Amino acid sequence: MIKLAIYGKGGIGKSTISSNISAELTRRGMKVMQIGCDPKADSTSLLCGKRIPTVLDLTREKGSRLTLDDAVYESPSGVVCVEAGGPVPGVGCAGRGIINALETLKKLGAYDVYKPDVVIYDVLGDVVCGGFSMPMRKGYADKVFVVTSGEKMSKYAAANICMAVENFRDRGYASLGGIILNRRGVRDEDEQAKELADDFHTSIIGTLDRSEEIQLADEQQKTVSEAFPECKAAKQLSLIADGVLASFK
Amino acid sequence: MKNASKMIPCYSADTAGVCSAMYELGGMTVTHDASGCNSTYSTHDEPRWYDIRSDIFISALTEMDAIMGTDEKLISDTVKAAEDLHPKFITLCGSPMPMMTGTDFDAIAEEVERRSGIRTFAMHTNGTHSYIDGASEAMLAVVTEFVNECPKADGIGVNILGMTPLDFKWRGTSDLMKKWLGESGLEYISCLAMGSTLDEIKNAASAKVNLVVSYAGMASAEYMKDKFGIPYVCGVPFGIRAAESLADTIKKAAESGSSVLLAERSTDTCDTVIIGESINAVFLSSALYQELGISSSVICPLPTETRLLNSCDAEYLAEEDIEKALKELSPKTVIADPLYKSVIPKGTRLIGLPQFAFSGRCFEKHMPDLIYTDIKEYFK
Ligand SMILES: Nc1ncnc2c1ncn2[C@@H]1O[C@H](COP(=O)(O)OP(=O)(O)O)[C@@H](O)[C@H]1O
Ligand SMILES: [Mg+2]
Repeated sequence: MIKLAIYGKGGIGKSTISSNISAELTRRGMKVMQIGCDPKADSTSLLCGKRIPTVLDLTREKGSRLTLDDAVYESPSGVVCVEAGGPVPGVGCAGRGIINALETLKKLGAYDVYKPDVVIYDVLGDVVCGGFSMPMRKGYADKVFVVTSGEKMSKYAAANICMAVENFRDRGYASLGGIILNRRGVRDEDEQAKELADDFHTSIIGTLDRSEEIQLADEQQKTVSEAFPECKAAKQLSLIADGVLASFK
Repeated sequence: MKNASKMIPCYSADTAGVCSAMYELGGMTVTHDASGCNSTYSTHDEPRWYDIRSDIFISALTEMDAIMGTDEKLISDTVKAAEDLHPKFITLCGSPMPMMTGTDFDAIAEEVERRSGIRTFAMHTNGTHSYIDGASEAMLAVVTEFVNECPKADGIGVNILGMTPLDFKWRGTSDLMKKWLGESGLEYISCLAMGSTLDEIKNAASAKVNLVVSYAGMASAEYMKDKFGIPYVCGVPFGIRAAESLADTIKKAAESGSSVLLAERSTDTCDTVIIGESINAVFLSSALYQELGISSSVICPLPTETRLLNSCDAEYLAEEDIEKALKELSPKTVIADPLYKSVIPKGTRLIGLPQFAFSGRCFEKHMPDLIYTDIKEYFK
C-alpha cells in the first residue's frame, strides 16, 4: 500500500491535484482512497460532484454507532472518498479534529476493509499544530509531497512543511517525496522552486501550468481529466501521478 | 446531559489502570500531565502507595510545554530518571492535555527507548476512558514483551490475569488465591498484576490455563491463547463451593484446551442486582446462586463484552440509565459499592461491596474477604 500526503498553502491547488491523481490512478486500475484532512471538507468535491458528510459531523450525530459505510463515499469514478471535517471557523480545535477523525477511520478498519493500493491524505497547508502533522506520522503517510508556486507566501508555507518533515526525521515519520510546482506565472518561478527543492535535498517531481480548463472543470465540479481529457493540464497531471508513483520505487 | 454523573462518582481513569497494573513489576511509569496529578492516579487510587515502593512520576506538563509542543523535556527527564533508577522497563501514559495537542506517545516512547536503551511502552491513555482500558493495555504490553515460550510446569499451572487493587482487596487476596489454588490441586504460576514479580510473569507460558478475574485481563488471555495455545477460564473463586467448582472448570479446561467464559447462574427471576466490573459481578452472582440459592442479575457500568453476560444482565454506562434500570427492576436487594446508595430506590436493601476504583479509600476498612471464604454470612 502506497500512502502519501499532499501539503501546501491554502488555495495552492492541493485538492485539485490530489483529486486528479486519485482519478488518474483509479483509471489505471488501482484502488485509491482520498482522505480530506481540512476542516473546509472540500477535498473530494471534484471527485464526488458534491460535498460529502464528514467523519466528525457523523461522529457527533451517531457516536459509537458510526459505521464505515456512513463515513466513506465511493465516487462515480471509483475513488474511495472520506472527509475528516472540523469545527466551523473561529471555535473548537481543528487539529484535534483531524487526529480524532483519522483515529476513528483506523478504529473502524477503513484500511483493512477497502484495502486501497494508494491512500492520499489531502492536508490543510500550514502545519500550525500537532494535529496537522498527524497524517505524516507512523502508520499514516510514508511520503509527503508539497505543492507550491513561486509566490513568496506559498514558498514560505512549503518551507515550513519541509522543515516539519525534517524535524520529525528521527521519529520514523513520513519522508519528503518531493515538490509539485503549480505555476502562477511569477518571475523565475522554476528557478525559485528548484532552490526550495535543493534546500531540502529533494526534487521537483512534477509541474502544472496555470490552466483555464482546470477552472472550467472546477465550475463543473469535475476533475480536469474527466472534463477535458485532451488538454495540456490533464497531461501534466498524469505526469505528476507518474512522478508520485516513481518516488515510491 | 448524557453520561454526566450528578450523584455517583466516576470510576478511576485509564491512566490509573496503567499505574496500578505496572505498580509491582519494577518498571518506571511516567504520566504526561500537570504537576500534582500523580496523587489522583497513584495515591487516591492506590492502596499500596504507603507500603510498597514504585517509581511513578508525573512530567509536570505546563501550559507553555503544551503550547510549544516541547516533547524534549518529557523525553530527557524520563531518560535522566531512568539512568538513575535502572528500571526494568518504562511506561509512558497520556492525559487529557496531551490528547488535545496530539502528543505522539508512540514516537516519544521510541525516542526514550533509543536514548536510554530500556524497553519503553507507549500507553494510549487520555484520562477519558476507564481503568479497565488502561490496565488492559498495560497488561497486554507486559505479556507481549516479556512472556516467551517455556517448558510447561508439571501440574496444572495457572496464571491469574486482570487482578489489580482497583477491583480486588489488596491485603489478603493474593494469599487466599494461592491457598485456593493449592488446596484445589492447581499450581500458582503468576498473577498479573498483584503480588507477582516480573520474573514470575516471565514464566507465564509454563501455565496450562489462564484465569481471567476481571475484564482487564481479557486481552492478555486472548493473546496467550493465540500465541501459546493456553486456554482461559473467566471467573473469581468467591465462596467455598463456587470456588471449588471454578477449580473443576479450570481442570477441565486444562484437559480439553477450550476456554470457558460463562458461569453457572440461575435463570429464575431475580430480586437481587449486582453492580460492578463484569467478571467480578457475574461470578459473585454465580457464587450467590451456588451457595445461597439467590438469583441475581448484573448491571455492568464498565467496558466488557456481551458474550460474558446473561440475557438478564445489562451494560449501562450513564448514571441516569442505571437509576432508571434499578427503578424498573425494583429489586429487593442491590449489591454494589456503598457510593451507589444515592441512585438506589428507597426501601431497597443495599449490601455494600466497596471497590477501590469507585470509592477509593473511603471504605477500605470495610472491604470483606470473599475469595475462598464463606460468604453466606455477608450476603445473608
Ligand atoms: N493550475 C491551475 N490553474 C488554474 N486554476 C487552478 C490551478 N490550480 C488550482 N487552481 C484553482 O485554485 C483554486 C484552489 O484550488 P484547491 O485545489 O481547492 O486548493 P487547496 O486545496 O490547496 O486549498 C480552485 O478553484 C482551483 O480550480
Ligand atoms: Mg483543499
